[in-house]
Amino acid sequence: MFSRLALRSVAARQSTPTALVARGSATEVSGLRDEKNFPRPVRGEPGKVRLGFIPEEWFQFFHAKTGVTGPYTFGVGLATYLFSKEIYVMEHEYYTGLSIFVMIYYASTKFGPKLAEFLDKEVDNVETNWNAGRLSTIKSLEDSIAGEKEAQWRAQGQELLIEAKKENVLLQLEAAYRERALTAYQEVKRRLDFQLEKTLLERRIAQKNMVDWIVANVTKAITPDQEKQAMDRCIADLAALAKN
Amino acid sequence: MAFGDYPKEYNPAVHGPYDPARYYGKPDTPFGQLKLNEIGSWFGRRSKTPSAFMGACSRVWWRWQHKYVQPKKVGIAPFFQLLVGSMTFFYAINYGKMKHHRNYKYH
Repeated sequence: MFSRLALRSVAARQSTPTALVARGSATEVSGLRDEKNFPRPVRGEPGKVRLGFIPEEWFQFFHAKTGVTGPYTFGVGLATYLFSKEIYVMEHEYYTGLSIFVMIYYASTKFGPKLAEFLDKEVDNVETNWNAGRLSTIKSLEDSIAGEKEAQWRAQGQELLIEAKKENVLLQLEAAYRERALTAYQEVKRRLDFQLEKTLLERRIAQKNMVDWIVANVTKAITPDQEKQAMDRCIADLAALAKN
Repeated sequence: MAFGDYPKEYNPAVHGPYDPARYYGKPDTPFGQLKLNEIGSWFGRRSKTPSAFMGACSRVWWRWQHKYVQPKKVGIAPFFQLLVGSMTFFYAINYGKMKHHRNYKYH
């Protein structure tokens, strides 16, 4: 509780001057993020060492002037000087240190590689665990994007289908229209044929009646006198024919 | 500048995430690239306040951390460095007592 309070007060104290500083120096500098001179720090590989702990750079510093053996010569020379002048005093702890050094040397050469392998594997495990959630989220998002794309593709297919269905409906409408037009044509033709036949029939009947009437009247109008004249005429004609 | 604050020169808008191993002030010639006769003036230009000294120590500490301790797969080197460093340190502070164990009177 108190520690949290203390932290909060520290944060409160810190925020104002920092903000002021930020504002103050923003006027001096351009105020833009300088990525070239101040890149985001990256986690690098560990620095190289020789003999277990001495930085490689120190050896490189000697290398230009004295070659490869120079730093070792310097080291041995320095140690000899320190021992010789008893600046480094070889008292009892020195021999304890030697035995401890032998033990550490033995342990680090014997178990070091195995331990390093195990620890590297653990580091990888931890990293994999930490990344797992992020990676699975990314994967699920990618999957859902792919699903969305497929759904869009399907929707396009659906549009095509609807287009085809509309065309189909139009075709059906056209067919129905043609069918009805044909029906209308046939019906009209049937009626016209009926009218034609009726007219013809009526005319035939009228003709027949007229002929009957005329024949009847004509027959009625023929007198026995005329009949006799005709018969005589016929006989005369026959006689004339017979004469020839 | 109180305890726990960022350095005055640090501007988050320009410098991005704070790197404790970095000096955000005006850069001078690196010490390793100095000529011998420039060393005096170089030290003359340094700020010698306690907070500047603490800041320099902090940067050294974080540079060591970033180089040897914080990488993903470190070896045993930082532990050995700590061991050797502490041995040297404790030898130095105990030197007055160690002196009495000298075996030779004349060197």
